[in-house]
Amino acid sequence: MRATFIVSCLLFLLAVAYWLGADQISVSRLAGGVGADGMPKLLAVALGVLSLALATQTFFQMRAGKLAAPADPVKEGDEPTNWHQHARAMGLIVLGGFYILLLPHLGYMLSSMLMLGGVSFYAGLKPSLRMLVFAVIGGVVYYLIFTRILGIPLPSGFWPRLF
Amino acid sequence: MDGLSYALTALTTPTIVLSAAGGVLWGILGGALPGLSPSIAMALVLPFTFDMSPLAAIIMLTSVYIGAEYGGSIPAILIRTPGTNAAAATVIDGYTLHQQGRGGEALGLSLVAGTIAGLVGLICLVFLTKPLAMVALYFTPPAYFALAFLGLSIIAALSEGSLIKGLIMGVIGLMLAMVGTDPLSGAPRFTFGEPDLLGGIDYIFVMLGVFAVAELMNKVATPDDGAGGVIKNTVTRMRLPGLRKMWELRRAQTIGTGLGIIEGPIPGAGGTVAAFLSYNEAKRWSKTPEKFGHGSEEGVVAPEAANNAVTSSALIPTLSFGIPGSNSMAILLGGLLIHGIQPGPMLLSNRPDLVYGLFGGLFMANIFMLILGMLVLTPCIWLVNRPKPYLTACIMMVVLSGIYSINQSLFDFWIVLVAGVVGYVMRRLEFPVLPLILGIVLGYMIESSYRRSLLLTNGDHIVFLQNPLSLGLLCCAALIIGLAAYAEVRKARKPQDMHG
Repeated sequence: MRATFIVSCLLFLLAVAYWLGADQISVSRLAGGVGADGMPKLLAVALGVLSLALATQTFFQMRAGKLAAPADPVKEGDEPTNWHQHARAMGLIVLGGFYILLLPHLGYMLSSMLMLGGVSFYAGLKPSLRMLVFAVIGGVVYYLIFTRILGIPLPSGFWPRLF
Repeated sequence: MDGLSYALTALTTPTIVLSAAGGVLWGILGGALPGLSPSIAMALVLPFTFDMSPLAAIIMLTSVYIGAEYGGSIPAILIRTPGTNAAAATVIDGYTLHQQGRGGEALGLSLVAGTIAGLVGLICLVFLTKPLAMVALYFTPPAYFALAFLGLSIIAALSEGSLIKGLIMGVIGLMLAMVGTDPLSGAPRFTFGEPDLLGGIDYIFVMLGVFAVAELMNKVATPDDGAGGVIKNTVTRMRLPGLRKMWELRRAQTIGTGLGIIEGPIPGAGGTVAAFLSYNEAKRWSKTPEKFGHGSEEGVVAPEAANNAVTSSALIPTLSFGIPGSNSMAILLGGLLIHGIQPGPMLLSNRPDLVYGLFGGLFMANIFMLILGMLVLTPCIWLVNRPKPYLTACIMMVVLSGIYSINQSLFDFWIVLVAGVVGYVMRRLEFPVLPLILGIVLGYMIESSYRRSLLLTNGDHIVFLQNPLSLGLLCCAALIIGLAAYAEVRKARKPQDMHG
């Protein structure tokens, strides 16, 4: 409940920032009666009003001590409930970030092998020969599907310089 | 009778049968890979059609389109990742059914509903090409605005219990759609000097982030239950629904098919809008609306019927006027022109062999979709029942590879990762994510048609009420919003009444 209240306040700040950003848009005479900034400003106002409404609603619910009904379709037992679990979730994004940074240098196949091994380890697989085989074969299969069969020009990294 | 003989000739020509089968199989695989849209799947196959006969080439391209639109539902149901934009609505109940161990049933329902809708759409294509093509011509900017507004009004139904949260997500979706070059004046908006943002934020990236990446984050955050992350009590085979089941679901099937056929010929509307509208209407007319969002079979049948019906009726403006209503239809138009076929009102009288042959090919493609779908789905279910670490790693790689295959841009990865974090946070705070998708999908259409309408009348808003089509659609939107607001107020009052 408190988190929703904080998020609604942050959304209000986003609305203000969005309005200021919309105010910077250069308006051309070609744009007609409603300029390029018209719709963004309207949306900023809408988000401002709605976030204030949500903040007010949440505030009164907090005061009344009401509990919101869970609307998430995910099984309750699966819900991460503490910060440790949220940090684990963010770890996946960090792995994704590393992949993006390594991809242009190591090339698609090697980066994919590292990603498959890294994510499977992070998701709970113990380091083993099986995991290594999974990562290597997986990387080759993805390379064959995306680069050879589909013909998508994925980064080749330093490999062309070696051969 | 000549038409029937042309269609039968196509049905009995081995190269054409193979083109239809190969096209559908490629389409299902392409649609099932997130990031590989139906139009990309068609574009990839286009060079292979150069040496084919015109009829075989066109049938192969349309078969890819049919297969891809269906294929998008497979990852939507099994891994909460819509393979195509139109499959976003299927995620809601399809994935919930999978979590309940009924993924095989959900896949069977989507396959049968899609096949029926595709065949009914084909019948309409044969008999209603002329009148439906005329409907498309009535769509002027005010009517487009009203159609997009009607699409947005569905947010009320997708808000999962909190209308304010749903509206906030819808507005954020519209805000994201404003990023990029202004559709009328060409002024850059919210690009922060980044050239990659000039073209706007493609909604497939946001979808992959808020659905796929957020789901994977949830998976790694959840402690292992000892089952290796495999959903318990799940069936490992695809289950086709019986006739009795489909009869029970006839209302959702009819709504989805009908709306898909009507939306298909309207340029720009497409399967995504049709699927969301059908979901909303199926919920409204259902005897058990409370099941929607919690694993409703009707919630799978309606959007799947809609996006598969669109595959037939979307051909109407392309063949009748040479107007491609979507990227996929633009690829098909390219294929027609490469083979020296000029689409337009005279196509039926000039090349009846091609048009009726195409109808025969489409019939075959829908039958192949059923057969190949049955063959492909059981291995797909087997794949998603692998232990969690392997599955998480494989899905993450499919998503990352799919992202890069769209624009070959590393910048797009960051958009998806940020969308993933936003999706994860919003899910924890019980903000519905579907309104966000609807906002991004409809943002361009709603803004450009609104401003074009006002340009035509020097800023006079009366134009939206003068056009009968626009007026009718706006009234429908007002009705949907009014009913949702009434339901919200009633729900809020109920506990008070009980205490009183």
